[in-house]
Amino acid sequence: MEPLAPFRVLAPASIAEAVAAAAAHQGARFLAGGTDLLVNLRHGIGAPGVLIDLRSIPELRRLGPDRGIGAAVTLAEIAAAPPMLAAYPALIAAAASVAGPAHRAAGTLGGNLCLDTRCIFYNRGEWWRSATAFCLKHRGETCHVAPTGHRCHAAFSGDLAPALLAYDAEMRIAGPDGLRTEPLSALYAEDGAAHLRLGPGEFLAGVILPPDPWPAAYAKARTRGAIDFPLAGVAVALRTEAGSVAGLRVALTGTNARPFLLAGTEALLGTPVDAAWRDRLGRLVQKQVSPMRTTLAAAHYRRRVAAALAGRVAAQLAEAA
Amino acid sequence: MQMQPDAPPAAPRRFRLNGRDRSVTVPDHALLIDTLRETLRLTGTKQGCDGGECGACTVLIDSVPRLACLTRTGECEGRVVETIEGLARQGRMNRVQRAFHEQLGTQCGYCTPGMVMAAEALLRRVPHPTEPEIRAALAGNLCRCTGYVKIIAAVQAAAGEG
Amino acid sequence: MRNARAVVGQPTPLIDGIEKVTGQAVYTADLPAEGALVGRILRSKEAHGRIRRIDIEAARALPGVRAVITGADCPLTYGVLPIAMNEPVLAREVVRYRGEPLAAVAADDAVTAAAALALIAVEIDPLPACFTAAAARAPDAVALHADKPGNLEREVHHRFGDVEAGFAAADFIREHVYSCAEVAHAQMEPHAALASFDPERGQLLMQSTSQVPYYLHLMLARCLDLDPAAIRVVKPFIGGGFGARVEVLNFELITALLARASGGTVRMVLSREETFLTHRGRPETEIRLKLGITAAGRLTACAAEVVQRGGAYAGYGIVTILYAGALLQGLYDLPALRYDGYRVYANLPPCGAMRGHGAVDVRFAFEAALDALAAEAGLDPFALRRANLLAAPTETPNGLRVESYGLGTCLDWVEAASGWRARRGRLGPGRGLGMACSHYVSGAAKPIHWTGEPHAVVHLRLDFDGGITVLTGAADIGQGSSTVMAQAAAEVLGVPLARVRVIAADSALTPKDNGSYSSRVTFMVGNATIAAARALRERLVAAAAVLLDAPEAAVEDAGGQFHAGERVASFAEVTRAALAREGGAITAKGSFTCPEPFQGGKHRGGAVGATMGFSYAAQVVEVAVDAETGAITVEQVWVAQDCGFAINPLAVEGQIQGAVWMGMGQALSEETGYESGLALHASMLDYKVPTILDSPPIAVHVVESLDPNGPFGAKEASEGALAGFPPALAAAVADAVGLRMDRLPITPDRLLEALAQRARAGRLARALEVA
Repeated sequence: MEPLAPFRVLAPASIAEAVAAAAAHQGARFLAGGTDLLVNLRHGIGAPGVLIDLRSIPELRRLGPDRGIGAAVTLAEIAAAPPMLAAYPALIAAAASVAGPAHRAAGTLGGNLCLDTRCIFYNRGEWWRSATAFCLKHRGETCHVAPTGHRCHAAFSGDLAPALLAYDAEMRIAGPDGLRTEPLSALYAEDGAAHLRLGPGEFLAGVILPPDPWPAAYAKARTRGAIDFPLAGVAVALRTEAGSVAGLRVALTGTNARPFLLAGTEALLGTPVDAAWRDRLGRLVQKQVSPMRTTLAAAHYRRRVAAALAGRVAAQLAEAA
Repeated sequence: MQMQPDAPPAAPRRFRLNGRDRSVTVPDHALLIDTLRETLRLTGTKQGCDGGECGACTVLIDSVPRLACLTRTGECEGRVVETIEGLARQGRMNRVQRAFHEQLGTQCGYCTPGMVMAAEALLRRVPHPTEPEIRAALAGNLCRCTGYVKIIAAVQAAAGEG
Repeated sequence: MRNARAVVGQPTPLIDGIEKVTGQAVYTADLPAEGALVGRILRSKEAHGRIRRIDIEAARALPGVRAVITGADCPLTYGVLPIAMNEPVLAREVVRYRGEPLAAVAADDAVTAAAALALIAVEIDPLPACFTAAAARAPDAVALHADKPGNLEREVHHRFGDVEAGFAAADFIREHVYSCAEVAHAQMEPHAALASFDPERGQLLMQSTSQVPYYLHLMLARCLDLDPAAIRVVKPFIGGGFGARVEVLNFELITALLARASGGTVRMVLSREETFLTHRGRPETEIRLKLGITAAGRLTACAAEVVQRGGAYAGYGIVTILYAGALLQGLYDLPALRYDGYRVYANLPPCGAMRGHGAVDVRFAFEAALDALAAEAGLDPFALRRANLLAAPTETPNGLRVESYGLGTCLDWVEAASGWRARRGRLGPGRGLGMACSHYVSGAAKPIHWTGEPHAVVHLRLDFDGGITVLTGAADIGQGSSTVMAQAAAEVLGVPLARVRVIAADSALTPKDNGSYSSRVTFMVGNATIAAARALRERLVAAAAVLLDAPEAAVEDAGGQFHAGERVASFAEVTRAALAREGGAITAKGSFTCPEPFQGGKHRGGAVGATMGFSYAAQVVEVAVDAETGAITVEQVWVAQDCGFAINPLAVEGQIQGAVWMGMGQALSEETGYESGLALHASMLDYKVPTILDSPPIAVHVVESLDPNGPFGAKEASEGALAGFPPALAAAVADAVGLRMDRLPITPDRLLEALAQRARAGRLARALEVA
């Protein structure tokens, strides 16, 4: 494999310093745990001369205050189920399910939410990608998954995003214009080559969990029990009243270029969760996911299993209610 | 690790490695695995994949298992780094090493340093782990020889002694 | 007399285990080599093409580059089989797969080596490529090798017994096509080599990740045109092999060529991607199997048509396609067999030998067919196997000798341990039990390189310190063979294990050995070690007789000391006397040869599959199937293996567990994949080796049938159980959800698709009924 292209690492002490560093260094990338970025750099995907390490910013490493989680909080810290997250089991489960323990010790909330999209034609070394004349996502002109199209289909496969979307979390974006708060769903776009709506010099500073969350859970399918990205992951938040579904949010990962909230769930309100209800939810999921051949497992499997997991998780939540 | 002419300058990095204060002068992009294996000639830490996929390079930083192939040496500044070479005392195996040896938790031995370090971290945190806890702690470490059966037995044996 | 078997039969930690757990074990990439040049290989991006030009001038001119080589620097081809050495070290004229080496550089550092590779200009005129066996066999397919039209490397047509009469006599016949994906060894240690060339003396020192340093020695001499005496091959610690490293591999020869070209030391460490591209895995295989049984369950005939997609070069291909036919026999009493095997070239990385070489995929088909037949005939799967047991000693219709046979005992144990009778069919929805049997050779009875020498030679050295040194060329690659040799020597000599040290696989010190493949080491090298130890003991007894002033016949070797009546001499005293008597350090030689009658049938290819001892295994697999996600959880495995005698029961258990588990990987998740010949699986993320979370408890029972020819009765222990897992799993899945999966691996997406198809068919049937 190719030697790692050299880079310098800057360690800003504050958000303002990080923003200034990004402004001063064209093409710099933000770094946290490095479990995604360093793998890509080792593969020769990009060669930023400067990395800006967000872990040196104390504010970003904090759980709290209130319901805020800094972007540089590690997955292991979240998976350890601190009291502050007791009401957010789907988030804890999602963090605990990422890769292996050493990845979680390094990987962060921000890194997982901003995970690069993945594809069997993209996550490869330099020689491999050059043998296919590269791909639309990086340096090439063709998407090998859908060669006649003009869009990159690389799939987002972070685990935390669906849980946070299901909780209706907000995010804090830092950048040249200061800090702004938006719904997390505003972070993502359905384009594998540009799936993060972050402007120049902007980075994700953290998320804010909503108060009084609905009961929620997360489940995913993958080929093996660790060191594997989700083929499909589903978070469901479900509130019942008198045995009927009174509130429902379903968020998915692994199937599209972005994690997304399932639309049209209002139609599933007002009835109990039974087999017919699960079928309707499953059909809704199958209609909205659009897995392509970006994984070694068949795309139709990801569609099917996303639907199955949605129904299963919803049923478990309804039963526990 | 060799530097390109335009590579960023190397800087001293000070950390405690296997009980000794060390200082190595490497650039920002130097990975811990290369610093250990090439600069410090501690070759017990193994490279088994092209980055973050096998766990063979697992070392401990402040007693937490980390992948040396995805850790920059600069991140270790001021911290306590332990590798497989640091576990024995006066040439005597520690309990985890002894158990892996005696229970045949090692066959070819290539995953063993990473596996032992991951197990060591677990037992420091949870002295008497359940089998699911052992499995969870070693989930990021691939082994191709043992089917993991005797690795689990080795960790259990080590916990029994502890 | 001392206790029988004081050392062998005792669970023994590996004699080199302390190095492994302390990080002191030095693997090839760990070897100290201050100032070694960095070797790198430029690989083809084309799957098939004619090389028009490889321009290395710019690379050669780059400061810090010490050597650049291409196919022009090595005109000779190589290969593991003397009759099929058709692989160039670096492609010449034609490139045949994506990843094939085209050129290589040695440079002062990795950055310079990478820059040099980027400066090499390659022009290749593409040729049509074929990536499947079917495409390669199509009438209009372009031949990869001019001497093999139709891309057929070898076809085999074997007939034993009256197959037609057998099927005519059958009450139940199943004919079905089974397919198995290509799989790879994925040993944890990526390939690496360190070569030093001394231009003054014209000598080469080679250290490499090899299972067979002797083959490497031969091929280095051939491809570098060196006197073998000018070469020394030393094996460091090896991080697994599983067959990947039996053949000499191109990177080893390239490293040596670079060392010579640069007049120095070159270190080549392949990436994981390159290690996968170097390949030699188990080929994609399609098996059309027809099997007949009587109502009572007796096998009447088997007809198998097997197609293996072998990749771009011959490698082991001829042997693999012969094994696939030969090892349909030797497990059960099968009176008639027709075998038609086709080994096909394709523009993919070459396949080779992998644990259970040749036997695994056909065993899946055979056992899966048996399971289906058992259901059809209303027979218990155990009863069906028991109806067809062999009675040792015997010889199969294709000339395989079976001297010991513990399969019946294996079946009894796994049936009881798994609670088969009480539990099968009563585990509830989505849960199931399945069983299967398997076997494997304890060493190929006829070596590939036939020289007339013994199959194995071991030296034992005794000097003033009284320590016993075992000198063996056998390569311990993690399986624990050095420990077995130490145990065997200690046992025969009656000394503690700690008095024995093993020096393995250094061509300057150790006798030639055919290497670690086909599970030959315990059987053959073990027997040679016993012979050497006996020879040494005789010489010690002779010296003791003089020392004790007694006839040799009166001297008793009593485990570390010698008696003659009341008189006693210590081991140290006898050693001193023997050294004085023999004029210094003693070397005793022992050897082993498989006698001619064991070397297989007289038909063409009849030597492949022949062995002096087959191991036998039976296993039961319990699964839970998630019908919504298609996920299969293996809850537990019970396996019994007849390994003859467990010289090191600890290692035998570990080997059996590892074999079963590797079979599980092939059954559930592992497969290679190619996009127009470009490997999609070439990482530890994409090639799905099971993690500890996916791996079940594996209960092992060792059956000791005491083979009459095995060392202390031992046979092989590390391959036989592998092939039983995939069919046992498939049977368990069938028990759990009623679907017979005929394609490996049974991944969640395939299982879910099959379940969905069945549901669709059911809906259709119901709809038709309603209509």
